[in-house]
Amino acid sequence: MISGGILVGQYYPVRSFVHSLDPRAKILISIIFMAILFVGNNFYAFAVTGTFAVLAVTLSRIPWKVLIRGLRPIVFIMSFTILLHLFLTPGHAIFQIGPLKATLPGLIQGLFIALRLIILIIFTSLLTLTTSPIELTDGLEDILKPFSRIGVPAHEIAMMMTIALRFIPTLLEEADRIMKAQMARGADFESGNMFQRAKSLVPLLVPLFVSAFRRADELAMAMEARCYRGGEGRTRMRQLSLSAKDYYALGLTIVMSALVVYTRVRFGPVIPRGTV
Amino acid sequence: MPIEVRNLTHTYMKGTTSEVTAISGIDFRVDDGEFIGLIGATGSGKSTLIQHLNGLLRPTAGNVIVDGVDIWSKGVSLKQIRRKIGLVFQYPEQQVFEETVYDDIAFGPRNLGFSQTETEERVKKACTLVGLDRDLLSRSPFELSGGQVRRVAIAGILAIQPKVLILDEPTAGLDPKGRAEILDNIKQLHESGMTVILVSHNMDDVARLCERVMVLDRGKLVADGPAREVFSQREFLESMKLKPPEVTVLMEKLRKRGWAVRNDVLTVEEAHAEIVKELRRKGVAGAV
Ligand SMILES: Nc1ncnc2c1ncn2[C@@H]1O[C@H](COP(=O)(O)OP(=O)(O)OP(=O)(O)O)[C@@H](O)[C@H]1O
Ligand SMILES: [Mg+2]
Repeated sequence: MISGGILVGQYYPVRSFVHSLDPRAKILISIIFMAILFVGNNFYAFAVTGTFAVLAVTLSRIPWKVLIRGLRPIVFIMSFTILLHLFLTPGHAIFQIGPLKATLPGLIQGLFIALRLIILIIFTSLLTLTTSPIELTDGLEDILKPFSRIGVPAHEIAMMMTIALRFIPTLLEEADRIMKAQMARGADFESGNMFQRAKSLVPLLVPLFVSAFRRADELAMAMEARCYRGGEGRTRMRQLSLSAKDYYALGLTIVMSALVVYTRVRFGPVIPRGTV
Repeated sequence: MPIEVRNLTHTYMKGTTSEVTAISGIDFRVDDGEFIGLIGATGSGKSTLIQHLNGLLRPTAGNVIVDGVDIWSKGVSLKQIRRKIGLVFQYPEQQVFEETVYDDIAFGPRNLGFSQTETEERVKKACTLVGLDRDLLSRSPFELSGGQVRRVAIAGILAIQPKVLILDEPTAGLDPKGRAEILDNIKQLHESGMTVILVSHNMDDVARLCERVMVLDRGKLVADGPAREVFSQREFLESMKLKPPEVTVLMEKLRKRGWAVRNDVLTVEEAHAEIVKELRRKGVAGAV
């Protein structure tokens, strides 16, 4: 499939323990996990968070192939980060290229950050892979609701996200169709230098935008025709409810967090202060 | 340019819970100069099938063989295949993007590397073939009427000058006049030697134009034969959520009332001739 490879916002529909969790629990776990990933400051912490992530992926029954494919876009940023740390961290030189001095603390620091990035990406893509867009926005709206008293437009944000997420597959499908239609006319999207490739996107993007604007217009009209007028007093067809397994998952997350905090206190940062 | 399809199967989103096997185990052969109608209920896999014929979709299993060569074997240029087998998509007006009608029709020839004069010649010829007014060439395609844009899109494929023309519901959403004109153009293209495959929900059109009819049902090719044979099987067609052309239904009704008319007529003219013949035989006065 031509539109393959784009992960964020793409639901991977299989049945699994993770898929069946309440979206609010999953959002909460993701937030805690992200925070705790930055609390961890040594490789012992990674042993804990990494195990947790591997467990989550295994329970989600999403093939590793899919997740690893999702890492492809960040390979460049990651290599860049590692190089930057390798050469710019002061310390004992392990080798030298011209004026650039590669240091051991730099290497460790670079690998440390790259690893953190990989775990972060894998875990966050797990959220969108295992939660359908509708569940995701329903969950988000519920979590944001308490903040609506201080002026956060919870319903509007959720509705905007629902619409955006709802139309991602539609747009991808449409992009796929337009691409094929242009390929039938001899268009080539895959070869040529960067400039030629950018130019070859025009026959795809123009029709795509035209139809996206038309769709937006039609959707607004269809919503008004059905008396949509914002979130006040709106009820929901599917009520969210937490069950035992959500509590288990949250409990496990808390245990994991506690462990990471312990490693921080017990072992300290990966490169102890004062050694460089 | 014979096209051969062997045991063709396509599964969308393989490996997920939403996997759909759109077509399975399809075999057929298209010879030069044929005019084939492809019919089937909504979702039966027509669009999926035809997108395999010029290599836009890759088969999950099976082969597509053009001119004796499997188009997915190493070293085959799909661009060359698409140059010989033109495919007009459903609602092709959604693919126009250039500033002028001329540029949009010229997109194909330019991609294939034709010179400016050759391109211009091809665009003009394509316009004539679809009956598009030359004055429109400098206009923006976004200002044209639905029927006109449809013509522009078809011309965009014809400008490639393919040997085989595949059309996915070329008349959907057009008014009767526009429909008749486009079908007329297609008929002329076939008469000038082009192989044509027409996907349509309109049985009357298929009966009138196509010599051979293929019927898809839930991804399987369930009938393939002369239009006359396929369309005279009313019960079979109805079980596929299709129905024979109106004139065929009329003939069947007359037969039930004891008229000795054929039940495999396909066009209004044929039906007319049959009825007149029967009236004469019955000796009805004033029969024309
Ligand atoms: N890009 C796609 N991704 C997933 N499934 C698809 C895709 N395109 C088609 N399908 C599915 O494949 C099946 C056949 O679809 P197809 O479009 O080939 O049918 P069709 O005969 O052309 O129908 P119609 O008469 O409505 O145009 C349908 O069940 C459809 O949902
Ligand atoms: Mg179709």
